[in-house]
Amino acid sequence: MIYLDYSATTPVSYDVLDTYNKVTKEYIGNPNSLHSLGVKSAELLTSATNQIADIFNVSASEIIYTSGATESNNMAIIGAALANRKKGNHIIVSKLEHPSIYKICEYLESIGFEISYVKNDSEGLIDFDDLKKLVRKETILVSICAVNSEVGIRQPLKMIRQIVKKENLGTIIHSDMTQAVGKVSVNLHDVDLASISAHKIYGPKGIGILYKSSNVTLTPLMYGSGKSLGTPALPLIASISKAIRLANQDLEKKERFINLLNEKIVNHLKKYDDILINKTKYSIPHILNISLMKIKPETFIHAMEKKEVYLSTNTACASGELSTSVMAIFNDLNRAKHTIRISLSSLTTTDEINKFLQYFDEEYNKLDNLE
Amino acid sequence: MQKVIIIKYGELTTKKDNISFFLNTLKNNILKTLSKYEFDLKMDMGRMFIYASDEVLPKIIQELQYVFGIHEIILGYIDNDLEIDAIKNNSLDLISKKEFKTFKIETKRSNKHYPITSMEISRMVGSHILKNIANINVDVHNPEVLFEIEVRQNEVLYFDTKYPTLGGYPVGTLGKGLLMLSGGIDSPVAGYLAIKRGVKLEAIYFESPPHTSIQAKNKVLELANILAKYNAKMKVHVINFTRIQEEILKKLPNEYLITIMRRMMYRIGERIAYRNKCLILVNGESIGQVASQTLTSMKAINEVVNLPVIRPVACFDKLEIIDIAKKINTYETSILPFEDCCTIFVPTHPVINPSREKCEEYEKMLDYEALINEAIKNEEIIIVGEEESNKKFDDIL
Repeated sequence: MIYLDYSATTPVSYDVLDTYNKVTKEYIGNPNSLHSLGVKSAELLTSATNQIADIFNVSASEIIYTSGATESNNMAIIGAALANRKKGNHIIVSKLEHPSIYKICEYLESIGFEISYVKNDSEGLIDFDDLKKLVRKETILVSICAVNSEVGIRQPLKMIRQIVKKENLGTIIHSDMTQAVGKVSVNLHDVDLASISAHKIYGPKGIGILYKSSNVTLTPLMYGSGKSLGTPALPLIASISKAIRLANQDLEKKERFINLLNEKIVNHLKKYDDILINKTKYSIPHILNISLMKIKPETFIHAMEKKEVYLSTNTACASGELSTSVMAIFNDLNRAKHTIRISLSSLTTTDEINKFLQYFDEEYNKLDNLE
Repeated sequence: MQKVIIIKYGELTTKKDNISFFLNTLKNNILKTLSKYEFDLKMDMGRMFIYASDEVLPKIIQELQYVFGIHEIILGYIDNDLEIDAIKNNSLDLISKKEFKTFKIETKRSNKHYPITSMEISRMVGSHILKNIANINVDVHNPEVLFEIEVRQNEVLYFDTKYPTLGGYPVGTLGKGLLMLSGGIDSPVAGYLAIKRGVKLEAIYFESPPHTSIQAKNKVLELANILAKYNAKMKVHVINFTRIQEEILKKLPNEYLITIMRRMMYRIGERIAYRNKCLILVNGESIGQVASQTLTSMKAINEVVNLPVIRPVACFDKLEIIDIAKKINTYETSILPFEDCCTIFVPTHPVINPSREKCEEYEKMLDYEALINEAIKNEEIIIVGEEESNKKFDDIL
């Protein structure tokens, strides 16, 4: 099997799974219980949270556990919108967001918020002049993903923060960092709110984080008792803590290796006139998006699947639709309808890429001849 | 130019005969604090210089801000080119990175053979800067940027950025003290202030299980852990106080409960202090705050010990204490809602003006010597602030 869909989800690391199992078996107490089993669980909960806070250089009270990035996005954007309704009703998002952000925006529009979509340039970078123009007195929130899930564009969040805060110091900045954490270094101090997910970094499904700066107040979407909502999911929390620690080890070394794989693929595909590489200088190497202009991407995915090679067309949460990100950057409908996303990991081997390219040639030529 | 951290000591320089003891203690404390980094430390006439890689320097500066006895931390640059043109250009390079409208140059010459006077150097550097940066002025009285240059025998020092410090004396230079640590707001602040004056602290904590919980104990250990950051590490003596407290509750008049309890704590504290070579007791009592902290109460309680009892926050208002607690990060932990042994069994009307005679009379109803000996025999010692104690969940996380 050659798995090249790491941006959709990743296999759980055995080390992380060991943590999950150990905590499930040995830490049976509810961290909120008074007795010693509860205290033991509470201590682990505190240590796990402190570890995450240390890695991101934030305070432990700024880490909130969620079921994943979509829940984090909801809590952050709707929570911030409702909490700041008196200050304004204007929200800015980019055209390169995950579909969940647009769904949230649709909902907020239906209850009276105004959404603006900031432009990006032909390299995928946020258009700073446009952003500057859009931010106004009523702008309560700007949400821009750290790394785009389809083309892998990495945004300069520090710059974005400076521009936004210069125009309106009160505007809250949220970033969906799902595709950034564990791939490239991130600085949570560039934003006020950030969404992070475990299953993209070799952790289990069902756990994510919302980073909420202590300066920001959100209106809760759910109510419950205790500091967390209900009983903390300790095995998942310990797992995400470990997954974040492991994913952040040797980040640059891993990135350099993945970059080599990425370049190998790009160089190989250059020989095809009808394949376009949807990559700009701001794309991270982990996500490689291409357009097979003459072949239906779904067909190609299924053809490769027979060889046990697993790819995707665009972000898994919008499968079957056109790639909005490719559209936003390259402004070419045909190109956006024919995308294939190859996502790479430090687990990927050179051997796998060699085989992948061999299968790619075989299947591509077969399908190309049918046209 | 090479980056260098310059450490100045201030108050220490007045300790004439003991100066080398103070400086060696400070140096050792710094070496211990920075033990996980690679760096060079040089002592030099009233200052220390630390050299390290650009990556490590900011971390070192951050850690030094927790070391008592340092009165100034400056990030500077050192260059061995003594030519006036080099001084002019280096100064311009460094100052042009700052944002300001007015500035002043101050020069010192420890190298008295240098052909140009300090005043003259300042003037030459100043005019070079004025020529090269637009829209700025010299202001000798109230400059936004004060840029200091020091011409030494073989090198020139440029003082770039000053960082805040804690002041105080190097921890350990004044011997050891025993801090009576409860889970409240006041005692950690008292401990911090004692450490600031160079007292190395151990702590004593009285627990009363099952009336008090593990959470309460963990809270105190966490407070000790926060203080340990200033104290290198901290030995915490945990005393099981349950029997003493229950005996007092059962046998003695309710209104004297707190007074007698405090007398017992002082007695135990003094004995633990003697055994561990602590010269003083330190606690968080603040005059008038509660019934046991009236002057008559303090007198009735203090009488049972001979060691000096230092009460660093005795004359602070609660809000002043809270300000410090917030600054040193103990406040959030202190306000966690777990009962400690001073808050359980509180009488509705505790005596405000207890008398010694009555205390002594009531204490005769207890075999308190035996109770105290038993409590001391069963003390539990916990060391906090060591690297290992933070690695409890290493196998999991």
